[in-house]
Amino acid sequence: MIRRLALLIAVLALAVSHAVAGALDLTEAERRAILRHGPWPEATAADPSNRVAGQPAAIALGRLLFFDPRLSVDGSVSCATCHLPARAWTDGRPVAHGLAGTDRNTLGLLGVGGQRWFGWDGGGDTLWGQSLRPILDKREMGGSLDQTARLLRDDPELACRYRRAFGHDPDQPDVETVAVDAAKALAAFQAELTHARSPFDAFRDALAAGDDAAALSYPPAARRGAVLFTGRGRCAACHVGPAFTNREFHDIGIPFFVAGGVDPGRHGGINRARSSRHGQGGPFSDSPDPEAGALTRQLALLHRNWGEFRVPGLRDVARTAPYMHNGSLPDLRAVVRHYAMLDEDRLHADGEALLKPLRLTEQEIDDLVAFLESLTGAPAAIPVGDPAECPPS
Amino acid sequence: MRPPFQRAEATAYVLFFATNPAEPAVGQPFTMAVSVCARAAGAAIPPLTVDAWMPEHRHGMNYRTRVTQDGPGRFHVSGLLFHMPGRWEVLFGFPTPSGATDRATATIELE
Repeated sequence: MIRRLALLIAVLALAVSHAVAGALDLTEAERRAILRHGPWPEATAADPSNRVAGQPAAIALGRLLFFDPRLSVDGSVSCATCHLPARAWTDGRPVAHGLAGTDRNTLGLLGVGGQRWFGWDGGGDTLWGQSLRPILDKREMGGSLDQTARLLRDDPELACRYRRAFGHDPDQPDVETVAVDAAKALAAFQAELTHARSPFDAFRDALAAGDDAAALSYPPAARRGAVLFTGRGRCAACHVGPAFTNREFHDIGIPFFVAGGVDPGRHGGINRARSSRHGQGGPFSDSPDPEAGALTRQLALLHRNWGEFRVPGLRDVARTAPYMHNGSLPDLRAVVRHYAMLDEDRLHADGEALLKPLRLTEQEIDDLVAFLESLTGAPAAIPVGDPAECPPS
Repeated sequence: MRPPFQRAEATAYVLFFATNPAEPAVGQPFTMAVSVCARAAGAAIPPLTVDAWMPEHRHGMNYRTRVTQDGPGRFHVSGLLFHMPGRWEVLFGFPTPSGATDRATATIELE
């Protein structure tokens, strides 16, 4: 009798475990599509155009500069005015506001070190070039090369940390070189800001390991959203790979009219990237590669680039509202609804034939939002770099 | 897994090409080595042009390729970057004396 009972329990346990495994209910194609979004973190290489990338002394200098409003013309605006650590390095506003209002939403900085192009229009191909741009922009910080160099030369701690990072005194090079060095330190700091692993990564890795029981701890709504995202929704055509971006630019029908004209988007970005002195192939690049900047030189400038903006990565996306280049969509539900009811008339006639209204049900919208929210990791500590006092007391 | 070399045929030429890396990744630049043979014995190999597009999406690449000649009938192509998964058509072209282009196409599928 006891033996029969034990056998019955064993059979029931097996049936339950099969039922649980079956509840995952993913086809092989769906599993493969989900697996392509990991593993996380990705391996990244240090920027060859920045000789101090990854160096603790430069990270420490960059951290100080990032929070220092003295880089702005009137001492009122720092990088952290728009890139707030507590908001995933964005500001929660539709469009950035430094000394004055701008036309574009503040991009978060997590994962910025792994990008190829910077800003909504990709107008720069180096993080240090992109870091210098807002310092000099009249609507953002309104500073100058001269003011930046003077700050590094006059402030004892910044001068000390500059010497540690670059191996010489900030009085020696010309002002543009010192300012570019400051930007390279800022880039070294920002490149340390990375996305933490998220609940999605645990789900994805459980699938990779064939551990369906562990994968079942991922919420069913997020799971359905992941299948929709990587399948019928075709979101993964652009939001591809572990970072959920192809690192390129697309027109998704968001208006690009701004006060007094249009935002040229990628069209303007290509022109800026090509002509920048602060790019991979420019005179301030540290890259030893004679082909550095080749991809920038080979950019195709096309009419369809008007209205194209960055395909942002989606990790930690739940923490970076509002959305789109102009901050016009207040939350993730509005973003999903935008794709659900896409106005094809807003797309370039000579653009891609990829985007169609998804016509999602309310349940599917909920599922996609649950999936996007599951890409959120725990906030990480702000990188410190070299903690040693400077100058030593 | 694709074979190390793919073949494409134009009217007057046959091409063999290999990508580096062998499996290009979405959004990552890659290069291509191309060898060209003329069907007519002794015919010279003209300059080669290379482009690519996604027929289903009606868009091309965001970059212009650069083709350099490594030797007789041997070319190196840079500036290739496929920014979406799916079927890409690679377009090889040779100028003809009439001003037209002798074309060959090949398909690369990205997951």
